[in-house]
Amino acid sequence: MRTIRNVFRRKLRAFLTISGITIGIFALVVMGAMAEKITLLVNGGTEFYKDKVTVTEGESHGLGGDPMSVEKIRSLEELDEVAVASADISITLEEEVGASFGMPDLITGTDMRGQELESFPISFADGRDLTTDDLGKVIIGSDLVKKLNGRVGNTIDVRGRKFEVVGVLNKTFSIPDNTVYMNLSDAQDIFYDNLPEFIRPGVDKANLATGGTIYPTPGTDPDQLAELITERYSDLEAVGPQKFQDNIATTTGIFTMIVYGVALISLVVGGLSVINTMTMSVYERTREIGIRKAMGASDGRIIRQFLGEAGVIGLLGGLLGLGFGAATTALLNMWGEASGNQVFLLTPRLVIGSVLFAVFLGIASGLYPAWHAARMNPVQALRHE
Amino acid sequence: MSILKAENLHKRYQLGKENFVHALRGASLAVEQSEMLAIMGPSGSGKSTIMHLMGCLDRPDEGRVELSGRRVDNLGGRELTRIRGKEVGFIFQGFNLVPTLSAVDNVSLAAEYAGQSRRKAREISEQALADVGLGERLDHKPSELSGGEQQRVAIARALVNDPRVVLGDEPTGDLDTETSDEIIAMMRRINSDTGTTFVLVTHNPEVGEACDRVIHMRDGQVLEEAASG
Repeated sequence: MRTIRNVFRRKLRAFLTISGITIGIFALVVMGAMAEKITLLVNGGTEFYKDKVTVTEGESHGLGGDPMSVEKIRSLEELDEVAVASADISITLEEEVGASFGMPDLITGTDMRGQELESFPISFADGRDLTTDDLGKVIIGSDLVKKLNGRVGNTIDVRGRKFEVVGVLNKTFSIPDNTVYMNLSDAQDIFYDNLPEFIRPGVDKANLATGGTIYPTPGTDPDQLAELITERYSDLEAVGPQKFQDNIATTTGIFTMIVYGVALISLVVGGLSVINTMTMSVYERTREIGIRKAMGASDGRIIRQFLGEAGVIGLLGGLLGLGFGAATTALLNMWGEASGNQVFLLTPRLVIGSVLFAVFLGIASGLYPAWHAARMNPVQALRHE
Repeated sequence: MSILKAENLHKRYQLGKENFVHALRGASLAVEQSEMLAIMGPSGSGKSTIMHLMGCLDRPDEGRVELSGRRVDNLGGRELTRIRGKEVGFIFQGFNLVPTLSAVDNVSLAAEYAGQSRRKAREISEQALADVGLGERLDHKPSELSGGEQQRVAIARALVNDPRVVLGDEPTGDLDTETSDEIIAMMRRINSDTGTTFVLVTHNPEVGEACDRVIHMRDGQVLEEAASG
């Protein structure tokens, strides 16, 4: 209580200093929550891709390679290293894709040949998994429930076609959260409908695919398999776990560093404001410091007193910044829920870390002023007017 | 027996780069146990400086200070802090209470600095304030107390750790005549009742009259000693 009373001796100054820390911690919490979400998405993606290879049309396709087809994907099973090659169609849920955070919402149709080998843990919040007989039925990711009004048993509209929802996935913090899963033939129908009319007559609808998921045989390194596929089939682009890591994780790692960098700069400004306030406070209370020393206060006591006050400034700024930050991220997530775009994730480590950091910042900023106060000569301090 | 002894004290303060004030020039003084002593003299005569040195607030450049027969001028900062907390009490002009703390908290602070637990410190502080007639005003802030009441809080604070010596620097300096008389009478009573030694730096002749002895200082030296009271 004494410490809090001392902090608020100059109410306006205390308020302004605490506001400085509050803004810094607010920035840290909001930016940090975004970085945490990115990290989670990347980790989810890394987990998803860790034991398989995805293939898509390669860059050389336009120069005379075969077009992507179910047949072509399945032909990869001729390789000894491939256990199953599952063909799929992945297209965006919306015909026109606007700006989006992370992956856009997807429709994925799969032939389900790799279901037995799939190791990515997927569980159902409601309903059941798809079978190959479930034509006209879909399962949907957790982030799409609200957007599509997709409860189990409901009929939803996907690119102009009606589908019955038979299952809703639990949150995975990865690609499945924003995906509508259906049988390959249903996805082929949608894909076919969206082709320009003049192309349609020459297209074998049942052979349409946009890519494939390749499951290696036990003991085969998926990265080596990706290299092998790229070498043998110049018209295919194969991505193994390492390449995913290189492409995505590194880029997002830099983004995360920038995000925290911006937050840290605002905290440095907050810290400087604490140093200024505490220096002023020590100066104004020089005579009081003299009195305390005359009464037998040790240097350690004086240091603890001022560090305590600086720590309280940090703590209050940290709690307020966390409160505003948490409220902002919650509101933005609520707003983003309708579009399946929840950008922020407030993790326990971010909550605890931001407040601890604020207290640490306050105390660190108070070190010099406190040391200066403790070193004062009591006689000179008592003479101070 | 002398409880406080100052021998040939010299002290210089640096004001500017080559600007020194020679505050003490070989001042010597002995204070007897349970004595009430006034130190008088014009401004700049060194009376506050000798009080600071005898109260372990500062060290002399030359000379020797003894408290209860023990040499203290050569002790380290930590030990001087301990002595200020337990063996010496201070009363200043202008009361010098911490403005954000209540009367009882101001007194408790001194007890806590001397090593008492917060609970025990509050207990003995309440008693010390009751002893100076402020038992009903424990939770008042300094701004809610009159000048005389504030100085009584300062006296309670100086006495809370049962010090051997209380040193006062112009303890009646900011008070009107009536309140000043009350404070002088209170210190006299405490001195008689408890045997606590008082050394009071003052311009106020009435303080001198109330003391057992008055010494005068001029130009950093003790001029003479005269019995009073």
